[in-house]
Amino acid sequence: MEVAIIGCGVTKFGHHWDKDHDDLLVEAVYEALNDANLELKDIEAVWCGTFYPFTGISGNVFSDSLKFFGKPISRVENYCATGMDNVRNACFAVASGAYDIVMAAGVEKLMDAGSRGIPPIEGIFSIGMPVVSAPGMFAMAANRAFKEWGWKREDLALVAVKNHYNGARHPKAHFRREVTVEEVLKAPIVAYPLGVYDCSAVSDGAAAVVLTRPEIAKKLGCEYAVIKAIGMAVETMHPWHRPSESFLSFPATVKAAKMAYKMAEIEDPRKQLDFGIVHDCFTITELINYQDMQLCKMGEGAKLIREGVTAIDGDFPINPDGGLKSFGHPIAASGVRMIAELAKQVLGKAEGLQVKDAEAGFAHNLGGPYSVASVAIVTKP
Amino acid sequence: MASISDCSVYLPVWKLKREEIAKATGLPSMGGEKSVAHWDEDSITMAVEAARMLKGKFEAVFFASTSSPFKIKQSASFIASALDLDNAFTMDFSNSFRASTNALITANELVDSGKFKRVLVVAADCIPIKPGSLYEQIYGDGAVAIAVEKEGAAKIIGYNSSYQPLPGAWMLKDELISFDARLDAIFGYASSIQRSAMSLLGKLGMSPMDFDRIVASAPDPKSYEGLLKAVGAKPQEFFFKNVGILGTAHPMLLLASQLDRTGRILLGSYGEGADVIAIEINEPVQTNLGRMLESRKEISYGEYLYNKGLTANRDAPDRPSIAKLWREEKSVIRFYGMKCRKCGTISYPISRCCVECGAKDYFEEVKLGYRGKIYTFTIDYLVSPGNYIGDGAHPHCVAVVDLDGGGRVLFEVTDTLTDFKGIECDAEVERTFRLLFEKNNFRYYGWKVRLLR
Repeated sequence: MEVAIIGCGVTKFGHHWDKDHDDLLVEAVYEALNDANLELKDIEAVWCGTFYPFTGISGNVFSDSLKFFGKPISRVENYCATGMDNVRNACFAVASGAYDIVMAAGVEKLMDAGSRGIPPIEGIFSIGMPVVSAPGMFAMAANRAFKEWGWKREDLALVAVKNHYNGARHPKAHFRREVTVEEVLKAPIVAYPLGVYDCSAVSDGAAAVVLTRPEIAKKLGCEYAVIKAIGMAVETMHPWHRPSESFLSFPATVKAAKMAYKMAEIEDPRKQLDFGIVHDCFTITELINYQDMQLCKMGEGAKLIREGVTAIDGDFPINPDGGLKSFGHPIAASGVRMIAELAKQVLGKAEGLQVKDAEAGFAHNLGGPYSVASVAIVTKP
Repeated sequence: MASISDCSVYLPVWKLKREEIAKATGLPSMGGEKSVAHWDEDSITMAVEAARMLKGKFEAVFFASTSSPFKIKQSASFIASALDLDNAFTMDFSNSFRASTNALITANELVDSGKFKRVLVVAADCIPIKPGSLYEQIYGDGAVAIAVEKEGAAKIIGYNSSYQPLPGAWMLKDELISFDARLDAIFGYASSIQRSAMSLLGKLGMSPMDFDRIVASAPDPKSYEGLLKAVGAKPQEFFFKNVGILGTAHPMLLLASQLDRTGRILLGSYGEGADVIAIEINEPVQTNLGRMLESRKEISYGEYLYNKGLTANRDAPDRPSIAKLWREEKSVIRFYGMKCRKCGTISYPISRCCVECGAKDYFEEVKLGYRGKIYTFTIDYLVSPGNYIGDGAHPHCVAVVDLDGGGRVLFEVTDTLTDFKGIECDAEVERTFRLLFEKNNFRYYGWKVRLLR
């Protein structure tokens, strides 16, 4: 598969108390259109993600925001991987030839729920099952990893320090401030052993990309990056009820990565790719992602962060943009933003945060209790 | 006449020192401590906890309580389902502190007549008491379960009941009230018990001297001691010091405390009249009363008020409908999982396709174990116990537990308050029946785990 990214638009992520979801969506969509030098009427079909119904439901979330009527628009929802699943649907639509120019967008207005942490989802869990917050789900992975591999809160803190270092240099990040290991360890606990700085923030934001086929991109005279592969896997929403679940690896990531690597003919990502963006909703998630993305062996995730391998000037930079840790996680927007960040890096346009000689990278979007994952590979043409 | 063949006691682990109540309310302390239910316990859950320790099946379940959580909705039927009884005659006895002895007398008749072979009598109380009221130091929370069958260690040799139209204590709406403790002590309690007892002794052709011990629940410990002195007998342990008066479960607690040694006893209960039952204990019955008394944790008055739901705001997210609760009863209440006939995996809850191999409609339902080991856990400050929105002070502890005999389940870990010592990977835990949460004017029950008691 070869799909061209010809336009990217991302709002600043953060607490947009004064903006509605449609304000954010309009901002991201028009930025992407300007980037592609196209007009809204040039878009033939749209995939638009929202996770929470209070952000918006159905194709109307897009059509009513942009007053873009009479075209096919699908609303996508797939937990925190909603964003990249949007892009995936849009990719296959242009790759198939059904459409020539399409858009994938995602928006989330989490602050409208006004809660601590992401708002609970009413009515979806079984009656007998206790509610676990998002940090709680991943804290369970951390406690098991501590037990199995002797990882410590200090290892997790290094992830926060690295990502905040990068995010401090990104103009669109929610948090543009460096943190120290001490600050991370001293912060209040959210879900033991994860503290405030181990968690990505609750933020608002929107992102959009314009996709087409490379030959059309060339005809239009657009500068473009290429989506070489996009994999996705859905596992169980109740990992705590599946006896084979280790909590040390997320099978959805492992399977989505294998699919994407196969599609892009990648055997050794450490050698064939230059950098990556992983879903660092929590610091522990990033370390487990290193392993699931085949950057190291099981149990060695903490070694990578300790040795600086994944720092922006390291051997294999991870989250050079600052990750969800710095951007926050407006759910459906995150996966689309990741694709935009990959395009920027491979086109050498990541000012201040440019990975040296970045020609190919991956992005990984994870959702739910590690139940949904999507992995994309983006390269220079 | 029938016999008592087995007995089990459940006392909440939490103990509130009366000194603590006195400090907070300004009333003089009556000394000692009382057992108080955790926020997720009520008379239904404590009844299940007491009854599930009794081995074997029952043909009838009699539940006695003055504090059933529901005014309309039978508790006995729900207890029978939590105990996974296939079919049973279920009946609630309520509104009086004599409800438990009423139930025992009824069970005795139905077993004696040959109608039922084995009847469960379970008494539980968790009386809502207004903080700062006189009764706050008197009543404790707990449950006692008794198996009644034709032959057993302790034989009922007779009973008598009389009524007395003197309201001792009553509750019209939410508040327990009485007129004057002295009137109740003299003309209510002492005279009622004596009237029932004398008539029973007459029928049996016995005198008080023919009995080794006399126990009788009372509105307060002094009334009991006064009564025993009046008949010239030695007062037995009344459990006011360390438990409090357990409402209608109290006569059963007193009975439980006598079963560990042989002898002939008189058991009395009081509430607008008195029931007196004569029992011959021919073989000692070992109960868990000693262990229940030993296993205790202290609770502060502030946490006690939180536990009673009197402080902090509790709101839970909406849950699936009551129809779903009914459909999933076998998994949620009876706690069955499934064993895949293709790959052998035991999993929870029951679902048409196996979680490991996907085999469709190819499994058997299996009852899951009571004990297990924590695989992993977290202490979650964004959620409060019971799925309520986190208040930042009362975190929700949840654990993934591998149950003995198979099955992995996510549970809330209860009886922690804010002390999580001992909760770690590989820690041993046991299931306990609790209120999961209250929402939309309904109480949802199910299983949680706690560290071994």
